[in-house]
Amino acid sequence: MSLRALELVCPAGTPASLRAAVDAGADAIYLGFRDETNARNFPGLNFSRDELAEGIAYAGSRGAKVLVAINTYPRAGNPGPWTKAVDDAAALGAWAVILADIGLLDYARQHHPDLRRHLSVQASAANAQAIRFYCDEFGVKRVVLPRVLTVDEIARINDAVEVETEVFAFGGMCVMAEGRCLLSSYATGESPNMNGVCSPAEHVHYEERNGQLVSRLGGFTINKFRDGEPAGYPTLCKGRFRACKRDSYLFEEPVSLDVSNILPSLMDAGVTALKIEGRQRGKAYVAQVVSAFRRAVDAAARGERPDTADLSSITEGGRQSTGAYEKAWR
Amino acid sequence: MSQSGRTAPALSPVLLLGFALRPAPKPALQAAASLAMAALLRSHRGVFERLEGLANLDFLIDPVDLPFRFHLSAALPSPRLHVLGEDQKPEPPVAAMIRGPLPALIDLLEGRIDGDALFFSRALAVEGDMAAVVALRNAVDGADISLAEDLLQPLGPIGAPARALLRAGGALYRRAERDLETLRAALIAPVQRRCDAQEAQLHDLDETVASMPARRRERRP
Repeated sequence: MSLRALELVCPAGTPASLRAAVDAGADAIYLGFRDETNARNFPGLNFSRDELAEGIAYAGSRGAKVLVAINTYPRAGNPGPWTKAVDDAAALGAWAVILADIGLLDYARQHHPDLRRHLSVQASAANAQAIRFYCDEFGVKRVVLPRVLTVDEIARINDAVEVETEVFAFGGMCVMAEGRCLLSSYATGESPNMNGVCSPAEHVHYEERNGQLVSRLGGFTINKFRDGEPAGYPTLCKGRFRACKRDSYLFEEPVSLDVSNILPSLMDAGVTALKIEGRQRGKAYVAQVVSAFRRAVDAAARGERPDTADLSSITEGGRQSTGAYEKAWR
Repeated sequence: MSQSGRTAPALSPVLLLGFALRPAPKPALQAAASLAMAALLRSHRGVFERLEGLANLDFLIDPVDLPFRFHLSAALPSPRLHVLGEDQKPEPPVAAMIRGPLPALIDLLEGRIDGDALFFSRALAVEGDMAAVVALRNAVDGADISLAEDLLQPLGPIGAPARALLRAGGALYRRAERDLETLRAALIAPVQRRCDAQEAQLHDLDETVASMPARRRERRP
């Protein structure tokens, strides 16, 4: 038996990562320009226009597609960098752009009607009505679903809409308020949704204190890891705080998403594509995760039980979860 | 933890090599470091160009298993790698410090391992300006660095014997690594058994406490 394989959409923060993803079997690679127009605006990361052109050529020669994430929200009075990013992605031959802002979606529809438009997870479209609005008004061809839905809920959405859906498969997890989260803004004064980076590196400090690793964001201590305890990202949602006389993770524990053991369920739910998170990660991570998911996706398409490789050595906090897809906490 | 902030390194061939290198004259070590830096600059100038926007391009690289550290000045046109003694302070002050076992640092340099994964596992420690650390990590990861190849590239075909020697050295290193791991496991086996027994005992205690009614748990001192 052979089923339609899930499309594997993989991250690249550098040209080397793009090549690693393509060589490991990615169907598509998503990336961003080296500025605030995308949600992974880290120092030294992302692509220049020339690098994008070379990346599209490399991917295209091996049958892979390139998607450009322009998924932050343009600042009032200065939409220029965002509209230019859309223009350049179109001119350089990107297969699709991943957008969140309705003004930018409208700009892309009007100026580049043939450029495929995907709705970013940052738009947080989590029900059929919202998804239909984006499709009807802006001709969106694919929606990246926010990480708040169970597999059953995804199946119901796919029954109700015509558009392709893409879901997160592996990597970092957010607190399920994507595109609307302001936690990092309160501590740093910079918005993940507009400046393109949650917990900007220049606001992060680590120090070893009494055998503990102390992480601070914008001057606030947000976690302490005892000797040998696996660490996580310095984000407030994964901070450990004192409440009811007890230190604990109030929002979310440091853990990575991994859906490799529920791939058949996601296929049955009508999902088109899987997204691997991690444009900020190195090429070794990209190669390892993409290879593992290539094997798992192909096995699932053959009707076999997916090979669930142990990826715990590269996960945040050294642990994996199926997150909202199974909502095990309910 | 020692005064310098270093935790005790694992038993490894590099650690033993470090002991052997301790009496080595510093000019010889400095010459090797300068050679490696020249090779990197020759083959991967783009790494340094990517860093040009940073205010401070000085980093302290601290391999925990060696008795010396490196002060990297990454500013073009003449990036440098200075060998420092264990207690020698870098001048000028560095933007950030990156500390870890030498094999992990080399894996990171050559893109064989993910920096975040090393950090999550606590094998890598970073202090100072994180924007500088992230920029350096991304610049290095974006290049396809192979230290051995970059060093041998100017030799062309006549570098073949050196490559063969390096391959043999690599095999020897991996063998020594396995042997030392066996030795380490044998040395700590009695302590490990005691730790396992105590962990099992703690686990049982946790389960007992968890199964107690909430009110009785609150009365516990």
